[in-house]
Amino acid sequence: MNALELCYLSAGELSRRIKKRDVSPVEIVDAHLARIGETDGTLNSFITLLPDQARAAARRAESEILAGRYRGPLHGIPVGLKDLFNTGGVRTTSGSRIFDTFAPQRDCTVAARFYQAGAILLGKLNLHPLAYGPTGENADYGHMHNPWNPELITGGSSGGSGSATAAGQCTITMGSDTGGSVRIPAALCGIVGLKPTYGRVSRYGLTPLSWTMDHPGPMVRTVEDAALTMNVIAGHDPNDAASARVAVPDYTSALSGDVRGLKIGIPREFFEAPLDPEVAAAVRQAIGQLGDLGAITTEVSLPMFQHSQVISGTILMAEAAACHRELLAREGDKLYPPVRLRLEAGLFITAVDYLKAQQARSVFNREARHLLQEVDLLVGPTEPVTAPPILAEKVQAGNQSISTTAALTQYTRPYNITAFPAITVPCGFSRAGLPIGLQLAGQPFDELTVLRAAHAYEQATSWHTRRPPI
Amino acid sequence: MPAEIPLNQDAFREAFREAFREAFRFLAAQAGLDTASPHLDELYPYVQGVLSGVRSLDEIDVDGVEPDLVFIPSPEAN
Repeated sequence: MNALELCYLSAGELSRRIKKRDVSPVEIVDAHLARIGETDGTLNSFITLLPDQARAAARRAESEILAGRYRGPLHGIPVGLKDLFNTGGVRTTSGSRIFDTFAPQRDCTVAARFYQAGAILLGKLNLHPLAYGPTGENADYGHMHNPWNPELITGGSSGGSGSATAAGQCTITMGSDTGGSVRIPAALCGIVGLKPTYGRVSRYGLTPLSWTMDHPGPMVRTVEDAALTMNVIAGHDPNDAASARVAVPDYTSALSGDVRGLKIGIPREFFEAPLDPEVAAAVRQAIGQLGDLGAITTEVSLPMFQHSQVISGTILMAEAAACHRELLAREGDKLYPPVRLRLEAGLFITAVDYLKAQQARSVFNREARHLLQEVDLLVGPTEPVTAPPILAEKVQAGNQSISTTAALTQYTRPYNITAFPAITVPCGFSRAGLPIGLQLAGQPFDELTVLRAAHAYEQATSWHTRRPPI
Repeated sequence: MPAEIPLNQDAFREAFREAFREAFRFLAAQAGLDTASPHLDELYPYVQGVLSGVRSLDEIDVDGVEPDLVFIPSPEAN
């Protein structure tokens, strides 16, 4: 097996080979570092690369495994973290030069759990500054570039995580999702992205953007890898005030391939919103395939969907401004100008409007929860369009030209409002060769059903096996 | 006199705009922003757009609804 093939093996497949000692963590890490060397000049996925630390960790992993101390499926697996996950002693910039030399003293909980599982950190990944934007722009560290066409955006804010996983630079990456920042780049880069239920994965040690809507989640190439990652990172954390005390299942138990009898609702409003016909056709076909596999698909209605932008937008702007108020006052002029504008505008949201948005959130949640008493999952497109050009202010979605930010967050924001687990899986390609994502969302803390349906669809199709031309 | 109405309307609009801008400057100062910075000229129309968008919250009937301030969803509610 050549080095490039190693870079495109899933964590599941790599771990089986590591366990059998067919391949060593040292070989795997060397292959990935070489792949990063070949491709990152184009993609700009990384802000900080850690070759020496990674090689040392790989040698330790190899020694442990040879000594019979195998830690589990992530032992020896190369991972990358969005550069707002604190890593002790390793700089964590949050995508802004303001924090260019900031090295936290402690690891965030997610990093600590990866290390405990024996995963190997290759580096810290590029992001939209402060995670405040859905495109993957970054004037400080350079824009992120889509592996399927480097002139196009990766999506954001976890753009480096999306490109690194899609291009075989890392086997597993982590992103954070406040309005879609895991699912947007995952869909536009053609990979799997899971936003777990709010409270399921610790936010401790992550730079906050919105305390009530931030969700860390894995970005991987297969649904099995999402399950394997969840087995490591999910669970209660006393350091996170919002961390839930809910039993954590073995997520790989969801990978049965069987969706017979599963009830899947298709909100009709998703297809009445601005939507590229090519995307709509691919998603309709994917829903049909879920039906062919035995799921019961039915049209449902989510009228509150039309208000999701203003509800989540108001909450996000107020909370982001509160999170970063001191930074704005101190060093606002050093921030990426569009991010600075968004943050400052949040200072003008009144408490009354913030609370009204939270009231509206209650109404939205009530409606969405009611729907999930009728069906097990909700399905639709992850994105209304394929990846647009870098810095494009507008996109064409069907016969409508709309703001890029509004378009990219159109289908993802609802599940930041409700906190439901939601996954995107590749479900086709446009005529221009760009990936299209299918989004499935389920009941709170029922990631198992979300993973089960996503895995069954993935196993019945081959979209996830395509590789970008880079 | 019909010819005077547009003049008066323009004057009123201008006075309203100036009052709004003054209120914006006051709030910006309260928020800790540098009101002497030319950046405020860029922020002003942006904030106007945002606040105008926020008004669509008024289309949602929230009568009798408490704000959602318990953010961790309960699995028991399923």
